[in-house]
Amino acid sequence: MNDVFIKSVAVCCPVQKILDQFALQGGDVDKTLIPAGMRRRTSLTTKIAITAAKQACNEAEVDTGKLPSVFASLGGEIQVTDALCRMLPDADELLSPTQFHNSVHNTTAGYWGILTHCQAATSAIAAVDDTFAMGLLEAWSQLQQTAGDILLVCYDEQWPQYLAPPIGQVAFACAFVLSTDSGGTSIRCTIPRVEPQYQNKDKTVWERLVKQAPAAAAIPLIQTFYNKKQMNLIPLNISGGIWCTHIDTDY
Amino acid sequence: MVELVKSIKPVSITAYSSISGCGLGNQALFETLKENKSSLAELELFEIPFSTYVGEIKEDLPGIKTELEIYNSRNSRVALAALNHTASGLREALEVAKSKYGSHRVGVIIGTSTSGLYETESAYGVLLKQGNMPDDFHFVTRHAYQATGRFLQLELGLTGPCYAISSACSSGAKAIAAGHRLIDSGVCDAVLVGGVDTLCRLTLRGFKSLDLVAKQPCTPMDKDRKGISIGEAAGLLLLEKISRDNSMPKLLAVGESSDAHHMSTPHPEGKGAVLAMQSALQLAGVKAELIDYLNLHATATKINDKVESKAVQQVFSDQLRCSGTKGVTGHTLGAAGALEAIIALITLQHQFIPGTHGLELLDDDCNLQVVKDSQSKQSVNYAMSNSFGFGGNNASIIFAL
Repeated sequence: MNDVFIKSVAVCCPVQKILDQFALQGGDVDKTLIPAGMRRRTSLTTKIAITAAKQACNEAEVDTGKLPSVFASLGGEIQVTDALCRMLPDADELLSPTQFHNSVHNTTAGYWGILTHCQAATSAIAAVDDTFAMGLLEAWSQLQQTAGDILLVCYDEQWPQYLAPPIGQVAFACAFVLSTDSGGTSIRCTIPRVEPQYQNKDKTVWERLVKQAPAAAAIPLIQTFYNKKQMNLIPLNISGGIWCTHIDTDY
Repeated sequence: MVELVKSIKPVSITAYSSISGCGLGNQALFETLKENKSSLAELELFEIPFSTYVGEIKEDLPGIKTELEIYNSRNSRVALAALNHTASGLREALEVAKSKYGSHRVGVIIGTSTSGLYETESAYGVLLKQGNMPDDFHFVTRHAYQATGRFLQLELGLTGPCYAISSACSSGAKAIAAGHRLIDSGVCDAVLVGGVDTLCRLTLRGFKSLDLVAKQPCTPMDKDRKGISIGEAAGLLLLEKISRDNSMPKLLAVGESSDAHHMSTPHPEGKGAVLAMQSALQLAGVKAELIDYLNLHATATKINDKVESKAVQQVFSDQLRCSGTKGVTGHTLGAAGALEAIIALITLQHQFIPGTHGLELLDDDCNLQVVKDSQSKQSVNYAMSNSFGFGGNNASIIFAL
């Protein structure tokens, strides 16, 4: 079994208060990282995801042209889909072809490939409350066949509040470069699994945010990466069976 | 940087089941393919402002049990029909796997492009009229991408990993790839994988906006092809750790790649498609000459078929028999990768090669051995299936007896 290490982490969230509250290093969409043409054609969800992805790759100094990737999001292009759904009751409305192909769940993955000229495999996954946990599991299992690096991006934008409130009250994206190579300052994470004995003592503020911004489920793992602290169990979701990874800094 | 070492062990396919415009069950699919008969007909499920042929499921679908009513969508009912089809032995095989390995060791990974969007579309009609969604609107359990996978997991009482892959028309094939990896990496002992997609207004009108929908039933690889015919389907497969019982067909590998070119137009030289096929062969440890049959993605749009022809020729020269089956089933989008994987398995099981319904005169750009009429009594030991989706997302699967 290959060990999996976290090489870098990046966060993109337009709400500074949330970044401050959880002591997260990050900011709003970085326009310098996305060419103007692509910025015009893409939604907020793709822009926050690409900002976080680019920053994580820059920090890890990986070759994005060869990097496989996993894009995990509960709702993906929800605003694009919403706009199209609003046109459907009118038989005379003509849908925009660009909006249509931008409504697929792997839109961000597709633009990421175009931006980085990367022909490696990319996946777009979704798992409601377990989206981050399943994204990490998918990336982890990909690294069992391929020694190397992989990009994991987890994100959701602001949603219309008639869909599934409070999901989508806050836009939040994060990205990780994971690797089988321990190099530099990375930390090792074990295979994600359900830990029946896991109990979170101090979770209310974080849980409230995760209900609004599913990708914020990654915050405990991000904080552990910053602090390089030995911690037994890091939760990856907030409800149902709790998926956890063990973090190990002594190797 | 560590040297790239890519390998994966084969897994067994213990059971598989399907439903499509061809009917319920693998036998119905086999017989329609054998007769090379099209299931395409004018759309009846709902109204759209233009006429088109679709592969629509006409069977009565089973109901969802009361406890899981919030998961009730056409997508879930179509999946349940395939799951429950007794002759396939799928549900029974899942029960066996559950007791053999434990419910937490069995995963569920379902590919879909639009999940329960069909129900959401109706809810938007209410929203626009009344200003709020109807009371029975359940976005997370009906429309969210994972909804159908979660429904199957709950229906079967499984507790392992469960997620959706949604990469447009490669979703079903990528779900098979993800399930394969979960077994190979020791996370699961068995995984229910596949693809489920159902007809909806957004997809039909969206493809129409791209000018890709044919007025008549689609004609893959034909010189005069006019675009796609959309279909709906569920294709479900149970992958398991390889057992001593060698009679089960094996999944050898899924090769995956990206075009990195355009969101809805393939790379003009088929670079991504070539990479996916080559990667599948490399991962499987199989030489191109060994493949006996390729189920083409062949959507019947001008550009897609042209690019796929070029790509297949680069990898296999003109030595490989192939066919496109979307003239029979329609393009079942997120389910296509799984449905056509099942078609590839049927070629192994029945030692036959499907034809290409609608093909009259092969396109000059296509220098492949495209089989027109189905052929029985063939020798098929290795079969491959291609799936390519929006975003330039490609997957090629290899199965062996």
